[in-house]
Amino acid sequence: MDHRPDRRKEPDRSAQDRKANRTILIRTLVLMLVFGVAAFAPLFFRLYDIQIRQHNDFQERAIQQQTMDNAVSANRGKIKDANGKVLARSATVYDVIFSPNDFVKVQELWEETYTDSKGNVLSGKKDYYPRPEAETVAQALAEILGKDPERILKSVEKTGSYYEVLANRVESETVEALRELIREQHLSNSLVLNPTSKRYYTYGSLAAQVIGWVNWKNDNKGAWGMEALYEEELAGHTGRVVTAKNGRGREMRYSFQDYYDATDGNDLNLTLDATIQLYCERILEKGIEMFEVQEGGFVIAMDPKTGAIKAWANSPGYNLNDPWAVVDPVLSQYLTAVQEDPASNEEAYNTALGQMQNKQWRNKAINDTYEPGSTFKSMVLAAALEEGVVNENSTFYCPGFYVVGESRISCSKKDGHGSQDLAKAVANSCNPAFMMIGQALGAEKFYNYLEDFGFLEKTGIDMQGEENSVVWDRKKFTAPSTQQNTYLATASFGQGMQVTPIQLITAASAVINGGHLMQPYVMESITDPDGNVIRKNEPTEVRQVVSEETSARCRTILEGVVDGGTGKRAYVPGYRVGGKTGSSETLESRRGIDHTIVSFLGFAPADDPQIVVLLMYDKPKPASPGSNLTSRDFYISGGNMAAMMAGELMEDILAHMGVERHYSDAEKAMIDVTVPNLVGQTAQIGQEAAVGAGFGVRTVGEGDTVTAQIPVGGANIPSGSEIVLYFGEEKPTDLVNVPDVRGQSAERAQQTLAQVGLYLKVGGNSNYMSKEAIVAGQSINVGTSVERGTVVECQFSDNTMTD
Amino acid sequence: MAKRDLTMEQQLSRGPLDLPFLMLVVMLTVIGVIMVFSASYATALNEGKAATHYFIRQAIFAGMGLAAMYVTSKINYQQFRWMSIFVLGIAIALLVLVLIPGIHTNRADGVKRWIRGIGPIPDFQPSEVAKLGVTLYFAARLSKRHSEKKRRYDTHTYAGMTLQKLDDWGFMELLPYGLILLGILILMYLEPHLSGLILIFIPAAAILFAGGVKLRWFAIGGGAVTALLALTMQGYQSTRILVWQDPWAYPQNGGYQIIQSLYAIGSGGLFGVGFGQSRQKQLFLPEPENDFIFSIVCEELGLIGAGLILALFVMLILRGYWIALHARDRFGSLLAVGITTLLAVQVFLNISVVTNFLPTTGISLPFFSYGGTALIIQLMEMGIVLSVSRQIPVTKQG
Repeated sequence: MDHRPDRRKEPDRSAQDRKANRTILIRTLVLMLVFGVAAFAPLFFRLYDIQIRQHNDFQERAIQQQTMDNAVSANRGKIKDANGKVLARSATVYDVIFSPNDFVKVQELWEETYTDSKGNVLSGKKDYYPRPEAETVAQALAEILGKDPERILKSVEKTGSYYEVLANRVESETVEALRELIREQHLSNSLVLNPTSKRYYTYGSLAAQVIGWVNWKNDNKGAWGMEALYEEELAGHTGRVVTAKNGRGREMRYSFQDYYDATDGNDLNLTLDATIQLYCERILEKGIEMFEVQEGGFVIAMDPKTGAIKAWANSPGYNLNDPWAVVDPVLSQYLTAVQEDPASNEEAYNTALGQMQNKQWRNKAINDTYEPGSTFKSMVLAAALEEGVVNENSTFYCPGFYVVGESRISCSKKDGHGSQDLAKAVANSCNPAFMMIGQALGAEKFYNYLEDFGFLEKTGIDMQGEENSVVWDRKKFTAPSTQQNTYLATASFGQGMQVTPIQLITAASAVINGGHLMQPYVMESITDPDGNVIRKNEPTEVRQVVSEETSARCRTILEGVVDGGTGKRAYVPGYRVGGKTGSSETLESRRGIDHTIVSFLGFAPADDPQIVVLLMYDKPKPASPGSNLTSRDFYISGGNMAAMMAGELMEDILAHMGVERHYSDAEKAMIDVTVPNLVGQTAQIGQEAAVGAGFGVRTVGEGDTVTAQIPVGGANIPSGSEIVLYFGEEKPTDLVNVPDVRGQSAERAQQTLAQVGLYLKVGGNSNYMSKEAIVAGQSINVGTSVERGTVVECQFSDNTMTD
Repeated sequence: MAKRDLTMEQQLSRGPLDLPFLMLVVMLTVIGVIMVFSASYATALNEGKAATHYFIRQAIFAGMGLAAMYVTSKINYQQFRWMSIFVLGIAIALLVLVLIPGIHTNRADGVKRWIRGIGPIPDFQPSEVAKLGVTLYFAARLSKRHSEKKRRYDTHTYAGMTLQKLDDWGFMELLPYGLILLGILILMYLEPHLSGLILIFIPAAAILFAGGVKLRWFAIGGGAVTALLALTMQGYQSTRILVWQDPWAYPQNGGYQIIQSLYAIGSGGLFGVGFGQSRQKQLFLPEPENDFIFSIVCEELGLIGAGLILALFVMLILRGYWIALHARDRFGSLLAVGITTLLAVQVFLNISVVTNFLPTTGISLPFFSYGGTALIIQLMEMGIVLSVSRQIPVTKQG
């Protein structure tokens, strides 16, 4: 091969050589420029473009795929009542997710591990387990979850899918079983238990509309009530664990991890008292059942001095643990009717279901307004006393109607109350008297008080969906005209305008608490999980509406309503209860449809109110259209219905609050007392014990020790009754016939029974027997032969009260 | 042997190595091996191997390669003139062999690029040998272009006249080159191995260009290649173009690797995430120690580090051409041109692909991508350039 240097070539060649060398030189320079410079310049630019100009975009996308962002759920705070009873709390539950695609991989792995290349099963291999089969797994899952195996199998066999939700919110026992299944069948890659949170409401339906609920279908966010209103506080902040992961989705804890701690939600401490709430709900249901109430009702109990809500019951109710279910009898009856209606279809049913759900979720006592009726007279009274336009000595004559302009507005008592002083007018709930009082006040002042008592604005209570009142504007109300006179006249007895129940009870509190209009509230305080108080609601006085003195006078007059007035059914022996009854007309009733709202506003003790309650029953069903009586002979009015329930409720509440009873002598005679067993005692001790227990004593025979007694020890009879002690002499064993005491007053009935040696016990819902109350029924039928000393329980009714 | 006993030839071949070129090669090799470590350990761990598995192998190959480079540089490159025909012959033989079942490695896609390794000899691509063979042979043959006797044709026959005409146009002298390239084209088309073809054709063209072949043939050749490419762009190749245009639209059809590469490069920013800190190598970017190692370099070292490495490559390439310009003879020049162009094309194509500047082709990055035979052959090629550099005449001083 030629490897001699070129320079040995002939001279004529060298010229050619030089030319060739020049060509190489020039062309190499060209290559140098092309491959050394031109080619790389765009690459530098390209790198700049990607690394600097598109840096953020690419980095963001890269980080998104490189990190696992696991949410760490924060524990939702508890909701507690005033005594620390837990009303709502959260616990961890699990969603069960199956990945059919990964299940196939589980099977493939099994085949890889336990079969050889010819497909023979290597059952002798270490840690051998049978091949996980879709049918077996589906069967086991269905058993644990209590679901249809067919449907589970269908999900399991969707091999293209990575995410099949088999069950939501499974509780811990089931989860244990699932974990066991995962271990047994080696499913850890395809069956995932995703922790999530479930809200438990300790008392189910208790204070449902106030507490509200969280919607697990919407990220466990508060949907209604306090849960929604205080969502921010309760929810806490979801934390995150950002972990690096590799391309296979596996976590790489060692390489990179970032924590953002979850902050647990704060606890919400309500002013509600679960016990009082329970009393309220019980009485509400009782009344609804008893009076055949069509549109539900509510009871609000409030501390009049602070505005703290003690209880807030609504009907229809529902179970907070299953808020979509309709359980209220009236609502479910309607749903059944829709369902069974041959003309309706599924869509109609779903619409109806939605309506019923909404009905049970809403808080009637704040979302709706109503015409308060006579309960509103409390405020008119306070205004009139404060302004001095009337006093206790004023007299009002009621002919049974009152003429305003050309219209004649009648009183509830058609033949009129006649002449009555102020207290009597209030006790009678006399509309003409109040129209006179309104007239005396004048529209301007009347409207000022409407404003001052807070009827023109929302109370600002921390509760969802507060509505405002529907009241004439000032100009319309005060401009002189016949119309205006009507407005003032009807307003004087609480008709013609709509207010929310919370406005009414708040204003009424101001009337009785010394004149202070308090802002009502439900949240007592918010505490962090360690119990430190973060926020606290202090009682807020909006303004002083009337003087302490006026307030005291109102209390006395309103006590008279219960003490012999229209509210006498709310009387509770030993407690001084005041209040005002109300039977409201409604827009419907003015169109001739039977729709009365009966209510009672009560407070106690009258001299120093600790509690104020407002009960309302919407639309008791008359026995027949236009009738004033229900099918169970209850006269439809606040005094006969709401007041009766209020009395029972107040007694429970006051006892629970530890308010001491002070009985008057007359009352003492009416209290049921257990007769002590005195047989075997000496005469002196026996007599003293009986008298000490409040009984009168009659002795028969002469001896040192009691040999027998009527009635026997343990019987409950009114204190003040006479018991008979026998000393040596035989107790008469003859039987007596039960006399007919129906239609008799309490006093007479007691006398009638005593004559034959029987005892009267007051039955029914009220402990009080008004003078007008007559026995409607007796527990032992007339003519029955009974032993002497037997207690006859009598039911009283008093249908004389209208308001 | 004392220096004075050497022939002129021998003395010349003992001249000093071109130090800048040598330094650049060593630097790039060392950085490359280190980057293989960083880029490969996640893959190695995932495959159940030691973290240093690829690193140690690459380091050993690098050591062997550097030794081979030195030995090669000691060879008087004039020896390659005669060796070239054998190297080319062996290369073509290997290209035929690789097509025989049992000799090539079995790949799922049926591509026959690798000859199965025997014992300590690892798998290797015959195309690596072909690159060298073509470069050596073309350089050797073209360097004698002007010393060859003009062929005479019998102009009295039509055939002779045509041949004479073709010779005047410069076609006849191109015929052997063309036939060699056509043979290789056919053989490698059967593998198939497009990227290998590019790496053979472009340096070959560069040598022909520098060697003085008439420019019109480049125009014709360029046109032919363009036409051929346009034809083959139908079907299989066209997906590559679509993926190139919008990798996010084809995550399943090859876009994934490009997307991951762009994420890696992009998240590097100006300063990078730090050496060893790449997250894209954690099984996101497939085979990060291989063709896409530069993406990891960009991610870890940022624009500054990647730019610097690219600059080292550019300097090496420029120095390679500088050696070609200063070589003692045309053979040396053409050798340096061929090898330098081969290096430049590889670097350019690799980085173009990882940055999605050009559609994907499987071209590794010299000195960086994991692969023993490739690295050793690469370094031996550098040794040839160094050998050329030894005989650069010293500029007269004073």
